[in-house]
Amino acid sequence: MVTTALPQSARQRPRFRLVLATGAAAASLVTAGAVVPEAQAQPQARAAAADNGRQVLTVAVSQSIDSLSPFLAQRLVSTSIHRLAYDYLTNYDPEDGHTVPGLATEWKPSADKLTWTYAIRDDSKWSDGKQATAEDAAWTFNKMMTDPNAATASGSFTANFKKVTAPDPETLVIELKEPQATMTALDVPIVPKHVWEKVGDFSKFNNDKQFPIVGNGPFVVTDFKVDQYVKLAPNKAFWRGAPKFDELVFKYYKDGDAAVAALRKGEVSFVQGLTPAQAEALKSAENIKVNDAPGRRFFALATNPGAQSKDGKKFGNGHKALLDPAVRKALFHAIDRKTIVDKVFQGHAVEGEGYIPPRFESYFWKPDASRKIAYDPAKAAQILGGAGYKKNGNGKRLGKDGKPLDFRILCHATDPNDKAIGKYLQEWWGELGIGLKVECLDNVSDPWLKGDYDLAFDGWSVNPDPDFVLSIHTCAALPATPKDTGATDNFICDKQFDGLYAQQAAEYDPAKRADLVKQMQSRLYDTGYMNVLAYPNAVEAYRTDQIKSITTMPEAAGNIYGQDGYWSWWSAEPAAADDGSDSGSSMGVAIGAGAAVVLAAALGLFVVMRRRSTAEDRE
Amino acid sequence: MTTTPTPPTKQVTPGTGPATGPVRTARSLAWERRRHSMARFWSSYRTHRAGLFGLAALALIALTALTAPLLVGSDVQSVTAAPGTAMEKPSGEFPLGTDQFGRSLLGLLVWGARISLTVGLLAAALSVAIGTLVGIIAGHYGGWFSTVLMRITDWFLVMPTLVLAIVLATVMSRNIWTVVIAIGVTSWPTTARLVRAQTIAVESRPYIERAKALGGGHTHIMNRHVLPNVMPLVLAQTTLGISSAILTEATLAFLGLGDPTVVSWGGMLQDAREAGAVSSGHWSYLAPPGIAIALVALAFTLCGRAIESVLNPKLGVAR
Repeated sequence: MVTTALPQSARQRPRFRLVLATGAAAASLVTAGAVVPEAQAQPQARAAAADNGRQVLTVAVSQSIDSLSPFLAQRLVSTSIHRLAYDYLTNYDPEDGHTVPGLATEWKPSADKLTWTYAIRDDSKWSDGKQATAEDAAWTFNKMMTDPNAATASGSFTANFKKVTAPDPETLVIELKEPQATMTALDVPIVPKHVWEKVGDFSKFNNDKQFPIVGNGPFVVTDFKVDQYVKLAPNKAFWRGAPKFDELVFKYYKDGDAAVAALRKGEVSFVQGLTPAQAEALKSAENIKVNDAPGRRFFALATNPGAQSKDGKKFGNGHKALLDPAVRKALFHAIDRKTIVDKVFQGHAVEGEGYIPPRFESYFWKPDASRKIAYDPAKAAQILGGAGYKKNGNGKRLGKDGKPLDFRILCHATDPNDKAIGKYLQEWWGELGIGLKVECLDNVSDPWLKGDYDLAFDGWSVNPDPDFVLSIHTCAALPATPKDTGATDNFICDKQFDGLYAQQAAEYDPAKRADLVKQMQSRLYDTGYMNVLAYPNAVEAYRTDQIKSITTMPEAAGNIYGQDGYWSWWSAEPAAADDGSDSGSSMGVAIGAGAAVVLAAALGLFVVMRRRSTAEDRE
Repeated sequence: MTTTPTPPTKQVTPGTGPATGPVRTARSLAWERRRHSMARFWSSYRTHRAGLFGLAALALIALTALTAPLLVGSDVQSVTAAPGTAMEKPSGEFPLGTDQFGRSLLGLLVWGARISLTVGLLAAALSVAIGTLVGIIAGHYGGWFSTVLMRITDWFLVMPTLVLAIVLATVMSRNIWTVVIAIGVTSWPTTARLVRAQTIAVESRPYIERAKALGGGHTHIMNRHVLPNVMPLVLAQTTLGISSAILTEATLAFLGLGDPTVVSWGGMLQDAREAGAVSSGHWSYLAPPGIAIALVALAFTLCGRAIESVLNPKLGVAR
């Protein structure tokens, strides 16, 4: 750089900086992913294996924790942690999902089905040394019944409770208003009364100030930093047996590729939510096992049925044409579910049918061939034409108001599958002459709760007991007023569905209840507000040199992350501490090296160019 | 800048006054003069080898982008008509392999050039337009008005451009125009500062005083005298601005803030990341869009630098 003439240097500098910045930014784009994970992996590679002889199980997660309070938490990651930190009255067997003892050892209903008596175990202690008793359970349920703020997360379980008492420390009695089928599937964490009775406002208390958090599950939460980690220590006195690892860490990786790179390095032991390409690449990696299991989620399209609240007020700006069943049917007829499974999920999913995934055999329902809304674009066009939606000269389908049909679809910006399927929908529906605008947002909740959507990508994890995923489509789940938030998924309110829901909720005979649940799914299918596209698999991978064995649920071909229970992390056995975790990174190194060469060449070119072009400036 | 006396450049300056001839009209004279200055510009530009390289690269890329409908066809974007299977390795049929939908990556790369170039050009033009307007007005009027404008400029100057662009792209609906506006309204302050300085320099010349004495108003002075004199600067600034606009566009698209329904280079990188191309070692998905961005940015920078040194009055005198 020459700095003799002031004006010249003043003009040179910004330019030179720009060139450098250009090069650096461009290079960083070229190498974006390749370099970052490498750099991240440096500081504590092999942290997961024995360090100081301690066996640490590190799980990569990406979902943020909404709250550590069991009364508020609704997200999968938070409820999974509550499964580990608190004992529930009952648990599900990992093998087939039948109810097994939790905090309660035995339970039985009265003859009139309205009084349930639970025997509470005497060998469960809170982590501060106090005995866990029926009094704690009674206090938890009473709190949820009396304080609406404590009923946020799982109030649906206690809505029908009349009275909960603990006549002695080992007996819990729940009296019901109506018979309730979910009494052996009460997914409510029981909290210690002596800690929680000091809490003032349950809507604000997030349980994340004092560590360790007092609990009686197989693990105790010892530390938490927002979007960084959650640390748990094993509860050595857990009645079912102590977990084998010395520490369990949920560590945050907001980027899937970074998490996979960390797994390859051995920095984390377990990664979930793999893309097909990642799963394919990890299959051939050493010391890594890929688990591709039928999932417990459904992936659906929801159409706005005209958002409304319990007081009958309509709100939101959903498209009027979607209120016509013919339009919805035509849209669903134009979707090729097989292509979605083959191309988007690349085989890591099952084609969508009714509502509840086939994994829950007893409740699984699918439409018979005559009713099935199968892929048939010609029929879709015919339905639309028959219902009076004609194409105009430009090939655009016109609505009843004479305007072209253009829909919006809400998509989660963080979910690549939403975007990918959006692309297909645009083309399939484009053939019908229907426009589609894919609106990908980081926060879909706001427009969703306001009813400001036409269509949306929707999905829920289904529990072994289907009560919850069915309850979100009842009229009772609608928000009280347009300003409130209801438990409703998609503002569906259907009398017939509600009637069946009430029947199944009170049916204690499993076979009869399953039949009612199937009828509900059939009704939901016919209303046509929801259409399940696929049941995505749980695609996850773990290091076999760090985890010797781990329980999947169901035991045969089941998932590890997000189970209904604490089985996976509780049962995980550490592998013998041998050195074998530095493999599998050769590809990363190769990419990094390649990127470095490109970067160096680019920089070299810049320098040469610069020297040459400023040759006449130099003195 | 003000300390350096800057003689009038080769550009059209009405102040110099055309010599009158019996048969030649003013118009033909002006055209001749322009032809002349263009020829002089070109002969000077030709001496910058880096600039020629940049120009050649740009011409090639622009040609590819313009003929993309003939070369690859708009079908290349279609996911339902994708010819290949997902994430294929490079082969004879797909020289760069395929993406997760089975679309040809080479085709997408060619098609993506259209969006990247369009957004880059429009955003740079918008940014330079705002910057020139603010700079000339601030430089011309001076006083408290200039102070206020320059404080606003300073405020935009110290704002991290990318953060501001991200905020804008987040709150507005997702399409190309949002990205253009987000880049345009965040990157103008440098131009405004440069143009204001040049305006002040130009306005201190005696002929401006003469024009004022002859009754030239504010608009006349700004349009006829100042603007032509700051044009060289603006031109160079635009060329340099395009490369940073293209980079910002790619960055926004990579961060998932672009229009997800159009194919652009930044968007391809984002798609690659979402498909897990990094950790699964699909370099052929990841590297080409990145290299393309780097090449285009480099080409524009080289051209811009060459133009700048040709038009730089100081260097012109030295030669």
